[in-house]
Amino acid sequence: MNASRIKIVKDDTNKYLNIPVNMQWDFMGRDDSISEYETKAIKEVTGIAADFEVARFSHNIFQNFNTAINYEFNFYDDTLPITANTIGNWTSSYLNEGFSVQDVYYFSKPFTKSFFKLDFYDTPDERTQQIYLSIILPIQQGLTETAILNTLLPPVEIKKPTMILDSIGADKEGFYVYWLRSRDFINISSFFMTAKFFNARLGVFKQMTNTRQDLIIPNKFQFNNADYFYYRVNLNYNDKTYEVFSTSTLARVGDSSSPIIWYEYVNP
Amino acid sequence: MQIDPTTRIIESTQRYKGAPKQDQQLNVPLVQTQKELVEFDRSVDLSLGTVFDEERQLSFTFRPVTKFMMVFENAYTGSTTYVPFRDNLYYTNAIQNSASYYPSGNSGPNGLIPNPPTDQTIPWDGFPQYPEFDFIRTDNDVIGYTAGPGKHIDFKSVSATTYNWSHYLSYAFKNEYNKQLYAIEPETNVSWNWVASQGLPYIIIDGSDELTRFIKFKCPVVHGLSVGEFVLLSTNYNGNSFFQVASVGDGGEGSDNYIFSIRNVGFTGTTFLSLSQGTFKRVLNPANSADTISEYYIRKHKILTDASCAVLVNAGYEQNVYNNKQKCEIESLTPNLRKRTSVKEGSRSYTLSFNCDVNTLELLDNQKRPVSELFVTTIWRGYFGWTNKLKQGWGFNTFLDSGNPQVWWDQNNPDSNTTINQSQYISLLNTGPFYYNDFLLTGDTIDGDFCEWNNFEQLERVISLYQHKITYNQLWFRLDNPLPTTNQPGYFYQPHRVIQIRAFSDYIEEGSAENVVGIPDYAYYSTTNALFRWRDLYPYGFIDTDGVGVDYPYLNDAQYPFLNTIFRITPEGYNIPSDYAQLGKIPINITTIPEPTVDECE
Repeated sequence: MNASRIKIVKDDTNKYLNIPVNMQWDFMGRDDSISEYETKAIKEVTGIAADFEVARFSHNIFQNFNTAINYEFNFYDDTLPITANTIGNWTSSYLNEGFSVQDVYYFSKPFTKSFFKLDFYDTPDERTQQIYLSIILPIQQGLTETAILNTLLPPVEIKKPTMILDSIGADKEGFYVYWLRSRDFINISSFFMTAKFFNARLGVFKQMTNTRQDLIIPNKFQFNNADYFYYRVNLNYNDKTYEVFSTSTLARVGDSSSPIIWYEYVNP
Repeated sequence: MQIDPTTRIIESTQRYKGAPKQDQQLNVPLVQTQKELVEFDRSVDLSLGTVFDEERQLSFTFRPVTKFMMVFENAYTGSTTYVPFRDNLYYTNAIQNSASYYPSGNSGPNGLIPNPPTDQTIPWDGFPQYPEFDFIRTDNDVIGYTAGPGKHIDFKSVSATTYNWSHYLSYAFKNEYNKQLYAIEPETNVSWNWVASQGLPYIIIDGSDELTRFIKFKCPVVHGLSVGEFVLLSTNYNGNSFFQVASVGDGGEGSDNYIFSIRNVGFTGTTFLSLSQGTFKRVLNPANSADTISEYYIRKHKILTDASCAVLVNAGYEQNVYNNKQKCEIESLTPNLRKRTSVKEGSRSYTLSFNCDVNTLELLDNQKRPVSELFVTTIWRGYFGWTNKLKQGWGFNTFLDSGNPQVWWDQNNPDSNTTINQSQYISLLNTGPFYYNDFLLTGDTIDGDFCEWNNFEQLERVISLYQHKITYNQLWFRLDNPLPTTNQPGYFYQPHRVIQIRAFSDYIEEGSAENVVGIPDYAYYSTTNALFRWRDLYPYGFIDTDGVGVDYPYLNDAQYPFLNTIFRITPEGYNIPSDYAQLGKIPINITTIPEPTVDECE
């Protein structure tokens, strides 16, 4: 306001000039506001207390009340090279992977250092996916098959890569999924699981598919990875259980009648 | 505010003809759009420690973790003809049993005879194996019991941790004053039936008829009295029931806790005769007894988590010092001609955590204070059906009465029943019924310890721990002793284990509402000195010079209290025959190390 033009004319009455103090910022509540802002600023700087606690998710029961989860890993017999016109030969046996009966029976180091690795991704889209957790299945677990160790000796039982995991018993490593119990930080209820086998004899990882390659049409070597490299794992945060589903049939798998089957992926 | 510069101010009388003369005002606002802050308002020292502590003090989320070291002694042999149970005993009389069971023998020149004739009515003697009591059952693949033909039940691995026991979190939320109690004094065999609110029972062991300087009282529980305090007796002498405690103990080791005396000022009559019985309450000041008298009650617990929340796992490879006790059962000395290893006692430790969080913000304890204690509650489930309905009592009920279980534990005594429901089933062999205890649900209530509370002291004392008793179902596993079948000896265990989550100060604050700010809502108004009395609640992480306080991990915006405890399954006695050398069955008597009757030096 320009007050220089105001003329106050003298007369015989008293005149008053009211000068209001126009405050646009009030002391009242300022301290509270500062405190509130301070709290907010500190949280921005230090971060809020987040819950990173993990919970144990167990395999949900099937209709027959069994909780065991069945994995069957099949290795390709390299003596029958896969071609576009050949039906492959996959078997649940370490012998197909190049291990000898002696290796498996005597638990040689290259054998015992090998393992299966189940990786859990947020999406089957390989361009954007992130891996969130892994489960290691040691080869010491699993059922057995009969093999000839020596022609002079009776047949022996050796491990084979078919595992029945449960909460008790000898084979339980990898049965549970340990994941964040709170969904505030990462909100994922479905993972996409891939399987790899680490062959310590060769020092290489072998990728695995959920379908025999010879059954993949129209081309056993050119297919959509999202369809054949994954199983879907659904977490139930309420009762802390998980279930595994086929990505092709969408049916639940994992029990003895429909095990989670993996096949070694063979490059052309 | 902006004013048009062309504005002209004219005198009021000039505005129009006949305009009145009046004052004119001009408002000149002092516009202020910003204000400088003082230095300390502009900058804040950021201390991670302070931030951490503030968050910690405001967190009411608890995730308790408990490590159980299990200590169990298999103390009762018995016999059974029920095939799945019979075939899986830890045999104690195998030669005699085998001789009777195979009337024509079971071995020939080339070894065992296939399918020898048997007498199925012959019971086999032995202990139920350790898996019947273990926290995690691992006998999931025992042919003829949990798997294969002739199995007792269809074993589900998911239930391996809940077949025998179930685990919960609970808190004490109210007091039960009207609980009927029973105790017996082992030396005199004098017994009491009283209600919890009546206080503690006593018997006069040196009465006025002894003409001694003191009237001596003995209690079956720790009396909690100090010299100079008063007792309010259930009886009176010339209308007076208040008597000052003149001494405690009688010189014997440990007697301070169970014996107290009042001065014999020449009492006459029958009030203080020897062997007189009654109850008393502790009083600090008889001049204001309403304020300073103790109250007695059973703590009532409320369950906070379902059984499915409990996550029970092996505690690594930890074992107790007693190691496993197992032996090989030879084929020819088993009823199913199957060689196996039987386990009498195991030694595993377990870790218990919970998938569910506990929020204590709105929980008040049995004294209407903020909850300062959580309890890990473990309940016998007994799904395999070896046992009867659970019975409950307190520490003073665990002593034998002339070598027998106290009458309190009789199956027909309704006062010792628990609030836990019992269910039954028929086994896969179409045999039954087999009884088991149901799971508790969130919100269910269960009894707890016998306690004393004093308003003036603002202190709770646990007088006697809550106990459960497990007994075998004689229908399926018969203890060979002459005791009545409705009151068999059994095993005791303590269901509740306390985890302290907050600590009240060891001093008492007092003040009036006019002079003191921040009197907590749980403070007690004492009429003795017309002031509020309360104990402060220590913050997390603070431990005073006396060691009172709690300091446990805080992370994930939750508190992680930890309890390392021993879980004892204590036999009430023993009926173990001394014939481990298989010399034949020996008459069995319940024997145990008796409770001291004179003092704790015995």
